[in-house]
Amino acid sequence: MTTPRPWRRHAGWLWLSLMSFTTLLILITYETRWVYPEIHAYFSQTGNLTGQQLATRSRDYLQEGLGVLLEAPDDEAAREQAAFRVDLAYSLFDIGLYRREYACTEPSLDSLDGLSRRLSAGDVLTPAELNRHLLGPIGCLTEIEMDQLDRRSEVTSAFVEDTRRHQGVVLGGSLVIFLMGLVFWWMHERQRRNAVRATRESLRWMGRALRDPLTGVGNRSALHEDVMAQTGQAMSLMLIDIDYFKQYNDTLGHPDGDRLLRRLALLIDESLAGQARLYRMGGDEFAALLPCHDGCGLARRCEEITERLREAAIAHPGHPENRCVTLSIGAACFIAGEAGFAAGYAAADRALYRVKEHGRNGWEASEGEDAQANRVDANQA
Amino acid sequence: MLAWQIFRRIAQMGLGVVGTMLMATVVAAGTDELVLRDEGQETRLSIAALRDQADERFTLYDPFEAADVAMRGLVFRDFLVEHFGEVPEALAFEAWDEYRVTLEGWDDPDWILVTHQNGEPLTLRDRGPLRLVERDYGDRDPENLRGFNDWIWMIRSIEAVP
Repeated sequence: MTTPRPWRRHAGWLWLSLMSFTTLLILITYETRWVYPEIHAYFSQTGNLTGQQLATRSRDYLQEGLGVLLEAPDDEAAREQAAFRVDLAYSLFDIGLYRREYACTEPSLDSLDGLSRRLSAGDVLTPAELNRHLLGPIGCLTEIEMDQLDRRSEVTSAFVEDTRRHQGVVLGGSLVIFLMGLVFWWMHERQRRNAVRATRESLRWMGRALRDPLTGVGNRSALHEDVMAQTGQAMSLMLIDIDYFKQYNDTLGHPDGDRLLRRLALLIDESLAGQARLYRMGGDEFAALLPCHDGCGLARRCEEITERLREAAIAHPGHPENRCVTLSIGAACFIAGEAGFAAGYAAADRALYRVKEHGRNGWEASEGEDAQANRVDANQA
Repeated sequence: MLAWQIFRRIAQMGLGVVGTMLMATVVAAGTDELVLRDEGQETRLSIAALRDQADERFTLYDPFEAADVAMRGLVFRDFLVEHFGEVPEALAFEAWDEYRVTLEGWDDPDWILVTHQNGEPLTLRDRGPLRLVERDYGDRDPENLRGFNDWIWMIRSIEAVP
């Protein structure tokens, strides 16, 4: 089973947040692109011909026809024009909706039909006859207009109310979605920060795992990692052992032993002028890793450490052969890498072994074919 | 007496409106022709000839009649191709009731130029002599007549608008 990657663990909140904001955007787009044009379409015909009621237009034509007939009742051309307008009025009056819902429509259309026939026949109509033919239809059309206006007002009011309610719902919905988006984003941000904190914590612990807590220098794992990080590079390794450290602890106590370890770590680091990385390999053993450019100069470095220690003259009451603390150092060069490191470590260890075999308090450095050594005579101390 | 006074007042209002319109001298006699205009050229088509050519028959629920109506006419797109050489981008219509409108989107076989209704030629009283209708108006509510404002009635002339 594989564990999800950190970014995947908190990507869910991010997606939810992005989806919320996207939904909000879609909602706004929908409102803008579809709902508002619908409102526009509903009211946009106000003021033009198609925005007028058919009944209004029909009544206008009847009034025009009536005006023509009253002005020149005996003129044949006027009668033709009046008949034309009556036919137009008829066509706009003869609507299924009007027939179905207004009882006055049928008799009015019959009346207009009779008027049209008489005009076509060339009859000259008196004002009383015009009254009889047109008053009913005009009254009917007026009734239709008024009723349709009332209905339209009701529909408009309902539409406005619906729109207001719709806008309220959309506004509320938008607010909820927006808040959800913010909450999801906050959750995502919180998880991200937790993940960053956890990563930092892990790195800190990993760093601690590679450090010796007593002296602050690296440990064996750190040495291995550092060597592997320099694969292919020429390097040198010094293994430094404190002579008779057990006796030091037995004589002065472990707290003093710990202090000695810290002091020696500092001393070795200063002796190598900060050019080496220092590691604590075990109870009384240090290792120093150095780059090895143009010959390692290992002998000189071993000598520097020994000299500095001698100058420090750290008292060692439990030392069977000396009054001060002494070191045994084995050093070797190698090419960084798994095999090279193993070989270098073994060579340095052999050198250290030989130093110890010859009475400790000395060093041996192996650089390729050459091997140099210096062992301090116990009587010198 | 009151009714007659109202009647006279309405008539006077009508006279005022019609005063200028009479100058246009619109006469019913002209409804037997359809005028086509394209790039400044004018063609007159006989309505009777168009009625003879009408070969598209169908029945639909006419929202304005509020009833099923048997219609006969010409596929308007084919009519345009025949007389304009192509379907113009937009068309300006003029109707006998003074209605004028310019509309686009005529490359659609759904539009029918209707000449007959229930077996009878359309007249001015039937919102003819020519009327444009959609053979299939989809899910539009036939009770809402405003949804059918682009059904042009009483067509008098058609002009191609580039």
